[in-house]
Amino acid sequence: MRPIVSLEDVSLRYHSINGETLAVSDMCLFVQEGEFLSIVGPSGCGKSSILSMLAGLIAPSEGNISVNGEIGYMLQKDYLLEWRTIRNNALLGLEIQNKLTPQNIAYVEELLDQYGLGDFKDHYPYQLSGGMRQRVALIRTLAIRPSILLLDEPFSALDYQTRLSVSDEIGTIIRKEGKTAILVSHDISEAISLADRVVVLSARPAQVKRIYDIHLTTDEYSPIKAREAPEFREYFNAIWKELDVHVV
Amino acid sequence: MWYKKEIKSVSKEQTAFLNRLRKRKHAVHTIQWVLLVGFFLLWETAARFDWIDPFIFSQPTRMLNAGIQMGKDGSLWTHIGTTLWETVAGFVLGTLIGTLTAILLWWNRFVSNVAEPYLVVLNSLPKTALAPIIIVWLGNNQTSIIAVALLTSVIVTVMSVLNGFLQVDNEKIKLIQIFGGTKAQVLKKVVFPANIPCILNALKINVGLSFVGVIVGEFLVAQSGLGFLIVYGSQVFKLDWVMLSVIILAILAALMYQGIAFLEKKCLKWQQ
Repeated sequence: MRPIVSLEDVSLRYHSINGETLAVSDMCLFVQEGEFLSIVGPSGCGKSSILSMLAGLIAPSEGNISVNGEIGYMLQKDYLLEWRTIRNNALLGLEIQNKLTPQNIAYVEELLDQYGLGDFKDHYPYQLSGGMRQRVALIRTLAIRPSILLLDEPFSALDYQTRLSVSDEIGTIIRKEGKTAILVSHDISEAISLADRVVVLSARPAQVKRIYDIHLTTDEYSPIKAREAPEFREYFNAIWKELDVHVV
Repeated sequence: MWYKKEIKSVSKEQTAFLNRLRKRKHAVHTIQWVLLVGFFLLWETAARFDWIDPFIFSQPTRMLNAGIQMGKDGSLWTHIGTTLWETVAGFVLGTLIGTLTAILLWWNRFVSNVAEPYLVVLNSLPKTALAPIIIVWLGNNQTSIIAVALLTSVIVTVMSVLNGFLQVDNEKIKLIQIFGGTKAQVLKKVVFPANIPCILNALKINVGLSFVGVIVGEFLVAQSGLGFLIVYGSQVFKLDWVMLSVIILAILAALMYQGIAFLEKKCLKWQQ
């Protein structure tokens, strides 16, 4: 099967007054349709740069990137626009792409209803909790019907409790909608609990160090249940070692 | 009834706390009024008992009489109308042109880098120093006065609005770009709406600045307006006119400020 996303020998260099930084070096990575891929790596290793390249926001210095589908991108925070109602925030992407058709608007209304935001459509963002805001951000992303979702540490701004339930919720939604997803995270548990495969990157310049296929034995799939699987701890320890985190 | 229950559930301490707050607010208002009325009473008394010379200090009743007389012959309304129109034209134009310039400078960072030192110098320059030059260029007329009012507010508007534009979170701009948005859409969907509070704030500041420009302009060229009345009154020693004009100016400035504060509240219902 042809991969939906592929990076071939991709390198990225940043230029600044203080010199040149090699952020990503000769990276090869293939993602299949419907797959949930997590990318973990030491902080500052260039994980976010990879997503920016996939989204077409920056061009790679060398190598080829091919993306066969519409991209949806979720940022580290919800970045809801305070002056727009929840409905209008969810419609932002469609508005920018000039796709405000009755069907698309109905689809967004449906998503809002389905994910517990039906009563809040005319509210403003400050009236919602962190978890709800994150769900609005996801719906804003889903509204343009992307086939590939890029998630850049989308839960990192939330407190631990909320984070667990939101990542569970959003992971389940993404599975249910049958999307391909690429999650960048520095949280190993989160990466394992959500993904089919976990890619471990080296320190900068980012290179693929190792790829883990995740097989967890659980009755029904949910990211929170996944954490209770017997294999979870083994994956965690292996990746932890691979990351070689030094506690100073 | 639900509200009765609501009231019952308020504790004694809470009621006492609310009462204290209410009393304090009441005291502040009372003292404010006492000060205002007391000031005018003292002024009146001082003039009546010849503690001060009413010829050069004027006195409230004389001001009131002058006001009634000028109100009857209509000249007071002409003066107020002239100043009001010039001021409104000044701060509306100043805010509009300032905001448009800020948009231009945001759009083209190269131009804004080039313009930066000039903006800084122009901002510190007292704009009223330019008034005589404007009058020479534009003539002895109302256009000059409006131009002076505009000049006093335009540079500071450019600087504060541009600063607001540049402080918009880069991630919010990225959000628009992720959806394939253009620079015009970044401006329209994020940068401009995020800065409406900043622009309204500039409008508030510009009311005061525009009054300065108008009064200075009227000192120099006008045939009517409160600034003209102040200068003319002082020349012919009609201090009643002068004091009356100053008080009317204070009232007008306060009303305009309140008007914009009201507009602000209407526009910004999405804020906490």
